[in-house]
Amino acid sequence: MAGSHATFWQRIQQIPRYYIYLLLAAVVTWQILFPIALPILPSRVTQGVYDAIAAVPDDQLIIISTDWDASTQAETGPQTEAIIHACFQNGKRFAVMNLQPPMGVKLANDIAQRVAAEYGAEYGVDWCNWGYKYGFDNVLIALAKNIPKTIGDDFHGNPVTDLPMMEGVENIESVGLVIEITGLANVTELWIGLIQGVYGTPLAGAYTAVMVPSYYPFLDSGQLRGVLNGAKGAAEMEVLVKRPDRASAIMPVQSWAHMLIIALIIIGNLGYIFGRRRTTERPS
Amino acid sequence: MWNSLLGIFHPAASTSALIWRLILAVAFSIALLVLLHRFLGPRGRRWLIAFVTFAGGLYLGLEYFLPVRGSVLWPTGMPNPNPDRAANILTPGIEPIGIMLSVVGAFTVGLGIYSLCQVHGRNVAQRRPGWHNSGAFFLAMSAMLVFGLWAHYLPDQDAPGGRLPWQESTYELLFGGIFMPLQAATFSLLAFYIASAAYRAFRIHTAEAALMMAAAFIVMLAQVPVGQWLTHGLPTTGPLAFFRLETLGDWIMSWLNTPAQRGIVFGVAVGGLAMSLRIWLSLERGTFFSEQG
Repeated sequence: MAGSHATFWQRIQQIPRYYIYLLLAAVVTWQILFPIALPILPSRVTQGVYDAIAAVPDDQLIIISTDWDASTQAETGPQTEAIIHACFQNGKRFAVMNLQPPMGVKLANDIAQRVAAEYGAEYGVDWCNWGYKYGFDNVLIALAKNIPKTIGDDFHGNPVTDLPMMEGVENIESVGLVIEITGLANVTELWIGLIQGVYGTPLAGAYTAVMVPSYYPFLDSGQLRGVLNGAKGAAEMEVLVKRPDRASAIMPVQSWAHMLIIALIIIGNLGYIFGRRRTTERPS
Repeated sequence: MWNSLLGIFHPAASTSALIWRLILAVAFSIALLVLLHRFLGPRGRRWLIAFVTFAGGLYLGLEYFLPVRGSVLWPTGMPNPNPDRAANILTPGIEPIGIMLSVVGAFTVGLGIYSLCQVHGRNVAQRRPGWHNSGAFFLAMSAMLVFGLWAHYLPDQDAPGGRLPWQESTYELLFGGIFMPLQAATFSLLAFYIASAAYRAFRIHTAEAALMMAAAFIVMLAQVPVGQWLTHGLPTTGPLAFFRLETLGDWIMSWLNTPAQRGIVFGVAVGGLAMSLRIWLSLERGTFFSEQG
């Protein structure tokens, strides 16, 4: 079909994939080197996450469940960082924890340490890391009833009961908000089924962009207070906390990569429509 | 009697009690397995698996649906060990069962490592094509295992000049310098495949496909600042505001995507219920009994 007798319309349906890879690499490189920065407007779903953090009472803490790893860190890393900024700026205490995959707890710990240093926040007083806890639903069921007993030791191997911020923290009643940051399906459903649905603990999420459409029913029902939608959601949160960083830097790249994909789809379809018309018009 | 039986699942009071429990548990498990292996044929094993599956499902189902009381265990009137949570006679067993499931789940890690070593070990031993990749697996696994454990159990100490001990810096190099970038790079390659696949596969053969493409374009553009910029000239309030791409994208997600997602969730839930019933009643033979006919 793409031989010497192929028409122009047929040929543009058959662009070799290496050219497409090269084009995409060129667009990405162009926007990394010479970004065209455009304003980022926070959406209502991102604003929902920020408002949920700001609304947490001072005597309650926030759980940030960082269930992500290096494969999705381009989206979930900046989300975690922006959320931690929001917690510190609003003076909220938080605990990082991890259900799966175990790598997330270390990556999130590195981010939290770096951001905490910017605010002069102290480990154990303003924030802590509960570490990786194996057992998914069993962990959440037990966590709701007795946090110190369920968590046991923190990320550094010290009893959580030794941390000043854990004083008075007994069960899920001590938690004012859970934020689930993940690239995995079905983790949020556990939090909804076992914690939010049973105890009414507010819940917010931060997901890779491809996952977000699945969670709109929970936004609609009010079970999720807000959602960070991929790197764009992280960039919007960076705008809200006035700390433009990695996600904001990704936005020009993502903008023009999306434009390229749209242009390629249009080109392919023009070839399809006009190539077909020409074939049907040709006398047999 | 019931509560004292459940007591064996709670943490041991002392190290010696823990050791005794471990010895007894291992001896009991071995004796049970030997007896079952000796006296149960394939048919008997089938019935045993079916019975355990049914009993487990029945226990959890009954615990959920039976009435609960706060201070006593329904219907016996025995005192509730945890009065904060309304319970029935079966509730105290839920936590030990959860622990048992976690322990059984942990065995799958060992099973996974065993299976990987078996497959890759065979490749290396028989010098099959690509055997060096299997060799790389053993090298990587050993390095991460040795330095990961070594760094973890290293006593905390202030290294001179703020430098990490060499075991820990080796682990950091393996984890942060090799494993993480490899994982991120592998996932990043998807962008190239998606661009190529979208160009090749997305053809408007039908009116429905055209509608889907229009919706996809709007959502894709709403997802990036350049999309918002394209319609930034439209007012932010009034009827025309609806046609700003970010508003239109949100409308598609909230009003078109949400009901569709709900439908999918309901469908999956009904399917899950049917599948659960089949597994509970051991009607789903493919999983457990396929090799035994």
